[in-house]
Amino acid sequence: MKFDAVEAGIYPDLIHPAYKSTLKRGPVQPALRIDAPLPATQNIAPAPRILLPHDADLTRRGQGQPLGEKIVVTGRVTDEDGKPVRNSLLEVWQANSAGRYWHQRDQHDAPLDPNFFGFGKLLTDDDGRYRFVSIKPGPYPWKNHDKAWRPAHIHFSLFGNVYAQRLVTQMYFPNDPLFPYDPIFNSVPDEAARLSLVSRFSLEHTVGAEMLGYEFDIVLRGRDATPFGL
Amino acid sequence: MSTITTSQTIGPFSHEGWQWAVDGCASLSTSAPTIVLEGVVYDGDGNPVDDAQIEAWLPHAAASEAGQEIPGFRRTPTGARGEFSLRLSAPARPAGEPVAYITVFARGLTRHQFTAVFLEDDPALAASGILEQVPAARRATLLARANGAGSYRWDIWLQTDKETVFFDYS
Repeated sequence: MKFDAVEAGIYPDLIHPAYKSTLKRGPVQPALRIDAPLPATQNIAPAPRILLPHDADLTRRGQGQPLGEKIVVTGRVTDEDGKPVRNSLLEVWQANSAGRYWHQRDQHDAPLDPNFFGFGKLLTDDDGRYRFVSIKPGPYPWKNHDKAWRPAHIHFSLFGNVYAQRLVTQMYFPNDPLFPYDPIFNSVPDEAARLSLVSRFSLEHTVGAEMLGYEFDIVLRGRDATPFGL
Repeated sequence: MSTITTSQTIGPFSHEGWQWAVDGCASLSTSAPTIVLEGVVYDGDGNPVDDAQIEAWLPHAAASEAGQEIPGFRRTPTGARGEFSLRLSAPARPAGEPVAYITVFARGLTRHQFTAVFLEDDPALAASGILEQVPAARRATLLARANGAGSYRWDIWLQTDKETVFFDYS
């Protein structure tokens, strides 16, 4: 595949002063654009046994039902040509409905849910589609500044079809009132690029009286190398 | 304008969700000789980054690790002192290829960073198509120092005059 340079404003700023920990962690030198054949043509190939029962249903990992609003999140992963990213590994992780992560370092004074751990993994299908069941995560405070609350989000990790397509991002929910105040969301300068991280409510994917549907499509970098002269 | 989905930081809470792949490469079955690559991730003040995640991709080693959950792949979180340690298959590979392609993720890093690590005692370094694209003054940031007995040291610097060269693959 070929990877066009990403236009200014699409990626988040590596140093975004309002997001304080970027100040000493964001690389200062511009990324060096290089040609490297393998990252643009090959990738990891996980063994099928990595996928375990209920990896794609985060509500079925405990002894009982987790608390909160059950949701289904689905979408299609494509490349910049609109071609499906097939059979590709996708990881998700998130806070519970109270805004608490199942994680040793999360000190937020909100309850853990013994029936919700908040992580899963799955493969896209032959059409690039994915679908997992979860609980709508809650917003949570994060001490970056006074009254710093993260809008509710689900973390996504994608491996793409070639190594250079790797992406880690966050999916948000429609119309979150916290968007204007969140330095992480706003580390992306371009408004359209920011809004590409917001899922859509989907009546089509809503499942009866069981759970609401959200749709989140993902476009990974990369397009087919066009044969010379075409 | 580009239509790609943009990046967001991995944040501080990836560890539980990412652990399966850490466990999957904790024990290694390989037909190739191995090396140990150790290092520390540092921020711009020289402080260790204790909540980074490091991934190593070894495309030339995948065939020698066919029994692994993800052949030719490693993932490890950094420890309390910013440290990481990776045992890597190091089979014969085309001249000038890195021993591993590396991806770095961390809280405060708004997008992942691609880099690659080469062994300083690799006699084929001069033939590397990647290194020849790196300004000479910065090439040393991609070279792991031999520590003897198959052990190598390679630190990752996110900033300062030691800042590691990070790539944008074209």
